Amino acid sequence: MNTSTPNFSAKALRKTVLDMAYAGSAVHIGCAFSIIELLAVLYRNHLRYPGNDPLAVNRDYLVLSKGHGVMAQYACMRELGWLHNEAFTGYFADGSLLKGLSDSRIPGMEVTSGSLGHGFSVGVGMAMGAKLRNTEQKTYVLVGDGEINEGPIWEGALFAAQHALKNFMVIVDENGFQAMGKTEEVLDLGNIQAKFESFGFDAVTIDGHDEISIDNAINHFWQSNSIAPKALIAKTVKGKGVPFMEHNNIWHYTRLDQETYAQALDAVAGSAL
Amino acid sequence: MRDAFSDTIVRLAKADPDVLLLTGDHGYALFDDFRKECPAQYINAGIAEQNMVGMAAGLARAGFRPIVYGLSAFVPVRVVEQIKLDISHDQLSVILIGDGAGFVYSYLGTSHQSTEDVACTRAIPNLSVYSPADRFELTACMNLAYQSKASVYLRMGKSDRGDVHKGVPQIQVGRLLEVKPGRSGDIAFIATGSLVRTAMDIAADLYPDAVVWSAPFIKPIDSRQVTTICAQSQVVVVLEEHSVLGGLGSVISEIACEFAPVRILRVGVKDRFSEHCGSYEYLLKEHGLDRIAIEQRICAFITGN
Repeated sequence: MNTSTPNFSAKALRKTVLDMAYAGSAVHIGCAFSIIELLAVLYRNHLRYPGNDPLAVNRDYLVLSKGHGVMAQYACMRELGWLHNEAFTGYFADGSLLKGLSDSRIPGMEVTSGSLGHGFSVGVGMAMGAKLRNTEQKTYVLVGDGEINEGPIWEGALFAAQHALKNFMVIVDENGFQAMGKTEEVLDLGNIQAKFESFGFDAVTIDGHDEISIDNAINHFWQSNSIAPKALIAKTVKGKGVPFMEHNNIWHYTRLDQETYAQALDAVAGSAL
Repeated sequence: MRDAFSDTIVRLAKADPDVLLLTGDHGYALFDDFRKECPAQYINAGIAEQNMVGMAAGLARAGFRPIVYGLSAFVPVRVVEQIKLDISHDQLSVILIGDGAGFVYSYLGTSHQSTEDVACTRAIPNLSVYSPADRFELTACMNLAYQSKASVYLRMGKSDRGDVHKGVPQIQVGRLLEVKPGRSGDIAFIATGSLVRTAMDIAADLYPDAVVWSAPFIKPIDSRQVTTICAQSQVVVVLEEHSVLGGLGSVISEIACEFAPVRILRVGVKDRFSEHCGSYEYLLKEHGLDRIAIEQRICAFITGN
């Protein structure tokens, strides 16, 4: 258990992801690297967990709807002291706890994802619940851009706007890739910000690796008097932080070997991030 | 049965402000009382069942007690994955109502007819499947679903087949209810939903020594009780307005073949869709579930022809 002050530096989080991916011979590294800064800012500055309790009744909700980015969230949860170090060194060992996709039985994970397009709706329900109870709780749902191919996302968007769920924020990890290729070549999403705006959201597009921009955008949303749900479109780079992984969709699936692991560690250690 | 449903959800919602009714834009007049009595607890989620069920999971996580209403063809069949991942995986307290099960929507065709919902749901871990036979079982099942805080799929079929009980029965999870006494060593009828009344009528007229059981629970089911029934019977006849693949007939057969082998006639919907349009009674005939056809099948089964 890590009991020291959380270190949500992107560099530290990426190193944790690399270590666990190498230990578990796990895939989905690129999918985790595109959301590192988004999660770092959320955990550092925004998410409220009274008593540092991931199950606190009046917590904010972070729903990782793109469950394949789960290693990035594990890395943050390690910094909070919610996960033991052995869970990382023994990742994917027989009988181990942490899976390759988010699982709601791990305190701190709100949904069981991996089948895409589920977390958005669950998050809308949580936000509706907070509205009915008149609490200050915020709900953040992190979806992938490929994930918003799924129909329930748009069903939920209609509902969130209809019911003025101003406490609801979807964050779209727009890294431009999905499993089999570029999003524009599979099902072109066009202007995602405009799409959410047309569904009644307040929306803004930012650089998803610029922590100050992320933080400012979130603050701006919560400080506004608008009753609309929010959409933060984060332009990101799949595999961000390791040059040979960036924009290279093979790192959706590829495992690290000794050589690529060492190279990736060097790249992360030497990066300015 | 529908009045009993309306009365029950109004009563539950007035007693517990955390009870919410979610509907996928269905149940117009059915919810008149609820909307009047508990307007703040009524949510029309629109024609968007997948989102509705996911939201119900989020609301349950936030401490609410959602009752999710849809037509059985849509809730649960359209949303099986949301039920599995978002609700049952964590045993969330959500009651899913599938109305109009079987051939209720006889005139509308295959999209609204639902004869595979039990098969789809009973393989989902942590999910209970209830199938009340009349208004009294409906009330008892709703009360139990609420009190148990379990994840429950409740199947509502044809609602005007007549009462099976004289009042709200005492029920226990998994237990079958004897609705007509019989003699050990004779025939046992085990029926669920709309066909319990039919089984009682057939038994009363043709097989006075047969016992008739109603199965308000498809899952969990008391396998010891089923074993005893099978062991004490010469022949078992299972009746349901559902596919013979994966429904109550399968449940009874699975238990019997392991613990008390007995000849079992599974009366249900064969592995086929409806061909034609017509009244509910017509559709039952088309599928061999009208009383005459059932009687002929039972007779042939017993005599070995």
